[in-house]
Amino acid sequence: MTSVAAASPRARPGVARRAWAFAKRHALAVYALLAVGYLMLPIAVVILFSFNKPAGRFNYVWEEFTFDNWIDWNAVLGIQNAIVTSIEIGLLATVVATALGTLIAMAIVRHRFVGRGATNLLVFLPMSTPEIVLGASLLTLFLNTTAIFQLGFVTIFIAHVMFIVSFVVVTVKARLIGFDRHLEEAAMDLGANELTTFRKVTLPLIAPAMLAAALLGFALSIDDFVITYFNAGGTQTFPIFVWGIARVAVPPQVNVIASAIFIVAIALALGNVLWQYRSAKRAQGAA
Amino acid sequence: MGSFFHRHGAFTPYLLLAPGILWLAIFFLIPLAFLGYESLQSGLFPDFQFTWELSNFSNGIRDYREQIVRSFVYAGIATIACLVLAYPLVYWIAFRAGPWRNLFLLFIVAPFFVTYLVRTLAWLNILADEGPVVGALRAVHILGPDGRLLATTFAVVSGITYNFFPFMALPLYVSLEQIDPRLLEAAKDLYASSTQAFLRVTLPLSAPGIVAGTLLTFIPAAGDFINAALLGTPGQAMIGNVIQAKFLESLDYPGAASLSFVLMGLILVALLVYARIVGSERLTG
Amino acid sequence: MNPRLTRQELLRRGAAGTALLAFPSLLAACGGGDGDEATGELKDVLNFSNWELYMDTPQTRKAAGLTGPTTLQQFTAETQIKVNYFEDVISNSEYFATVQGRLRQGQGIDRDIIVSTDNDRFLGTYLSNGWALKLDKSLIPNIENLVDAQAHPPFDPDREYTLPWFSGMDGIAWNEDVTGPVTTVTQLLEDPKLNGKVGVWNSMGDTLGLVMLENGDDPAKVTDESFDRALAVIQKAQDAGQIRRFYGNDYAQPLSTGDLAASMAWSGDILNLGDPKLKWVIPEKGGIIWTDNMLIPTGGSVPTASTYMNFVYDPNIAAQLSLGANYISSVKGVPEEAAKLNPDAAANTLAFPTDDMLSQMHQNDPAMLTNPDYEKRWLAVQGK
Repeated sequence: MTSVAAASPRARPGVARRAWAFAKRHALAVYALLAVGYLMLPIAVVILFSFNKPAGRFNYVWEEFTFDNWIDWNAVLGIQNAIVTSIEIGLLATVVATALGTLIAMAIVRHRFVGRGATNLLVFLPMSTPEIVLGASLLTLFLNTTAIFQLGFVTIFIAHVMFIVSFVVVTVKARLIGFDRHLEEAAMDLGANELTTFRKVTLPLIAPAMLAAALLGFALSIDDFVITYFNAGGTQTFPIFVWGIARVAVPPQVNVIASAIFIVAIALALGNVLWQYRSAKRAQGAA
Repeated sequence: MGSFFHRHGAFTPYLLLAPGILWLAIFFLIPLAFLGYESLQSGLFPDFQFTWELSNFSNGIRDYREQIVRSFVYAGIATIACLVLAYPLVYWIAFRAGPWRNLFLLFIVAPFFVTYLVRTLAWLNILADEGPVVGALRAVHILGPDGRLLATTFAVVSGITYNFFPFMALPLYVSLEQIDPRLLEAAKDLYASSTQAFLRVTLPLSAPGIVAGTLLTFIPAAGDFINAALLGTPGQAMIGNVIQAKFLESLDYPGAASLSFVLMGLILVALLVYARIVGSERLTG
Repeated sequence: MNPRLTRQELLRRGAAGTALLAFPSLLAACGGGDGDEATGELKDVLNFSNWELYMDTPQTRKAAGLTGPTTLQQFTAETQIKVNYFEDVISNSEYFATVQGRLRQGQGIDRDIIVSTDNDRFLGTYLSNGWALKLDKSLIPNIENLVDAQAHPPFDPDREYTLPWFSGMDGIAWNEDVTGPVTTVTQLLEDPKLNGKVGVWNSMGDTLGLVMLENGDDPAKVTDESFDRALAVIQKAQDAGQIRRFYGNDYAQPLSTGDLAASMAWSGDILNLGDPKLKWVIPEKGGIIWTDNMLIPTGGSVPTASTYMNFVYDPNIAAQLSLGANYISSVKGVPEEAAKLNPDAAANTLAFPTDDMLSQMHQNDPAMLTNPDYEKRWLAVQGK
């Protein structure tokens, strides 16, 4: 009897304390999920309404489920052109801007040279300039050089690279600042020249930062409206297309395209996760 | 063992810089020069004359002081909100997410794939006066019976926060990701509690990320106009709205150009103050 | 390894940077691109920029009970001129912004016809800057079908450069589920039950025009006093929190969802939306009628554009357009032609207004629209 009586008071605080410890340990995970939920909420709404069959012109009340919008995704005039243009410009501009920006970041972080401060300033300035100013001022340039630049795909591409470069520099710099140079020195001590060291040691280590920067750059490009608008001439990117058509009402096909891009991106990420998982497993197996 | 770069070491930085800086010089500086020229003009569209019209600047500051202050306040609040909201999330991704980290990174950036306007319209949908969110808030008396979320300062600042969240999160992630977990182990070995380990090891090491994220968020937020236009009333108009109206509606290009430089100048000032506070080496590396 | 960038250094470099901004010599060579001369020949392609929802399509024709090819296809069949139709006029100001640069340099914009509205400053700006080419009236005999009310507008008294495309009426719309009828501007702007749920336009001509009518002033002849009176009314409503936002065309969805109880609204929008709970009236003291005008920009082909304009001024074609787009035509005889094609649709007074309705309509004063001081004060009310 006494042993039972002695046992129960000890058990209850144990449960409470264990529950609290459980909550603390997982609070961060719970928060992370909530935060992701917040980020995804509008997107969920967009995806949901891509399956809607609106009664009238507006697509904000749920009527009935349909796949029609997905089947006839290009039924709206101009939507296909717009999204293809956006993707092309996005990929091109991201690749170029990531390359240029990484080079600048490396120069700034690793070398002392005359003009370093001015370079820092120059890289910061596009980010401290309102988009509308970037767009309008760039247009002035193109209008005065119509022999070289015709408003359209090329001018949009130029504009996008211009404003993405700064973001790449800042992102990659943050990574380079904490970079351990000893690894590179060790490689060179072992006989590698600078180029090989860069290829085999530096590049793989800063690759995550470059990828993060490229991701941000692509997202910026595909989403940009203001700067593009001023420099597009008649070419339509997807945001410009949506802006025009949203003046009255957004057709569900816009939701479809937006959802499709999102789903492709997620699928790629999932693929990446699976790939890493399998490589890790294979490494384990080999070891 | 000499390589090309080894022998020409002094040129290396310039070679690295050349393509990028050239691009910025041609497609950013020169257009800005045109804009600067425009900001010192006077007259009415389309007959502007260059008259060293410095009064454009003083008039701009005088007439739009309210919008200027408001822009910086909104941007400041949104930046802090972004930092507070993003840090725990990014911390979890960097340290606890394991193989899923790329997926969650994508969740952070994913909103950008859905076009500014489309996701803002989705928010207009979600936060509509007769919608579920407002209805729930009214039911628990957080909002009055006629209360609304849209067309308020809250809506505009929330919109800015939501839209610039990735700008804060990604740089934060980049600097957190490279922190060697063994440092934290070492701290624990030295009897540090989790909190102490965080405050004295993780937080300081993530400082470059915090600095980068804050700048990347605050600066464009100050010049934003779309959130104020769609989610606010005229009482929430920011300096970006004024500049846009001058460019598009009143065709007051000198006024728009001079206000743009005022905005950029003030941001530069804020940058200097910030550099002072965090130590300028953090800023430039 | 990493040098400190001191505050002084940053300032010094910044100052050096701003010195770059004085580039007068570079800019002296600015401007003067060689413009495309307007050719005197008929081309086989017409580039036409217009607003959205302003052209009949197979779907809208079907809904209006019309059969056969679209008017654009009929035009091509008749004249062998292909039409590239662009629905890229999203707003007068934005379109103007994207074309003004080239027009200012005397260059063409790859368009033969563009459209701009007369309740805004931009139509007048195209004309006063000489960026519109004269119509070739010898190719537009149908110009005699232009209704009398549109024959001598103040911005183009002899119709040398412009011809109306469609018109629309400014009125008040309300959401039945949210509020009872709203029939006067005063009620819209002062009824406390509507506080925070009222929409007005960001367009000075439309909004202040309606307010001036309510004040008993003539919007076609604006004086400083009448402007001040109208602006004061809006300012008062804005200060009281009555106005939720100053909208462009995008008031329709908030009105539909109930975010807005009532709003200043265009007749055509309400008609096209077909949402039964949205009602529209002409305000008791009268409404404003605006007209989108076609014009030929610099570099456009005058004969080709004029040929097209002649085509759409045939009453039968104009009636098809009106039925297909649900806006008001300025061509004589359209209501009768429309009745022949589809009597039910032709009975819709929003697209085919009665004379009585038209008598309640007024136009804007172009001098008010292009007055920079008025514009500045109008923007100030909107916080800009």
